[in-house]
Amino acid sequence: MKVYLAVFSAVAVFLLLSLAAPTYAHHGISSWFDMSHSVSVKGIVTSFDWTNPHSYLYADVKDAKGAIEKWTAEMASPAMLKRSGWRSDTLKAGDEITLVGKTSKDGKPMMLLEKIILANGQELATGQALPAGTAEGGKAPKE
Amino acid sequence: MRSGLIFPTVVLILMVALSPATRGQSSTSLPSPMPDISGVWLLEKYQPALFPKGGAPLQPWAEEKFKAANPQTNDPNLACLPEGVPRFMFVPLPLEIFQVPTRVVILHEGIEWTRQIYMNRQHLKDLDPSYSGDSIGKWEGDTLVVDTIGFKDSTWVDAGGLPHSEAMHLVERIRRIDHDTLVDNLTIDDPKAYTKPIRTQRTYKLKSGWEIEEYVCEENNKYSHKEK
Repeated sequence: MKVYLAVFSAVAVFLLLSLAAPTYAHHGISSWFDMSHSVSVKGIVTSFDWTNPHSYLYADVKDAKGAIEKWTAEMASPAMLKRSGWRSDTLKAGDEITLVGKTSKDGKPMMLLEKIILANGQELATGQALPAGTAEGGKAPKE
Repeated sequence: MRSGLIFPTVVLILMVALSPATRGQSSTSLPSPMPDISGVWLLEKYQPALFPKGGAPLQPWAEEKFKAANPQTNDPNLACLPEGVPRFMFVPLPLEIFQVPTRVVILHEGIEWTRQIYMNRQHLKDLDPSYSGDSIGKWEGDTLVVDTIGFKDSTWVDAGGLPHSEAMHLVERIRRIDHDTLVDNLTIDDPKAYTKPIRTQRTYKLKSGWEIEEYVCEENNKYSHKEK
């Protein structure tokens, strides 16, 4: 039930976001991710890239009909993650987690990860007070 | 006083009066200690755009170039190219400052780039334009004054895409205002690209115990727009 609600909420938020998305003037285009609020999805880790410039977490998330949606969560560099308590073996394939983050504006199953909640309830923030980027490229608001 | 003692007394007085100790210098004549700005520092607040609400004082051609800049598609940094200076100082990853007699060296974790500020010379003649420019520095009291020229014009001034010309002249005043806080006051003077100088400030906090780690930008870069 919880999974259903989480996924349903995520999908509902997604739809609302895509319908409500305004057409930004060129100078209003900001980041790839909707920074205005966070979304939660529950899934199973398929792989975890502990790499520069970003680490990536890949998870299979079931939608309301039980179909698998493949999610990608972008995180900071390994060095910055380590400073927030992450390690290269923090996650492995098969781990059940909840992903919380800012979702992609184009409706794709992608997010800028803020934190994960492990099956045992432990929360791990990415410590990203600062937006992710290739160093910073790509995420800065134009204005 | 006996006449025989006058001369030695005068000599003694002169020796004392003219000695380095009396004149306020140490007896070994070392220069005054250099202010210490060394350590690992991290931007206190990420401010990607110098003019978040628009209004940068751009020359017309620079305004056109700015309109064509798109942080999502054509930021040179997306291809792991260096941010260049001054954007180097705006990157939200830790940097470490080292001080050696001839240079102040800043090693930035993002993207494992280094700035060298030469303390022992003037600007080189016939500079080849570079990402970081040619930086020279001197101390004014406890403030490191850094003067940089000789820039490539392919870098962005900020993450929002503000352009600059090769004639950009950057002056920074860097000061450690307390043990844990470093402030860089930057003046970007580029009359070719801007109608007036741009002044901005960045604050960094000391990160004791942090080490600058490896950051191989091309390891798993999904944002590169380089032509293959």
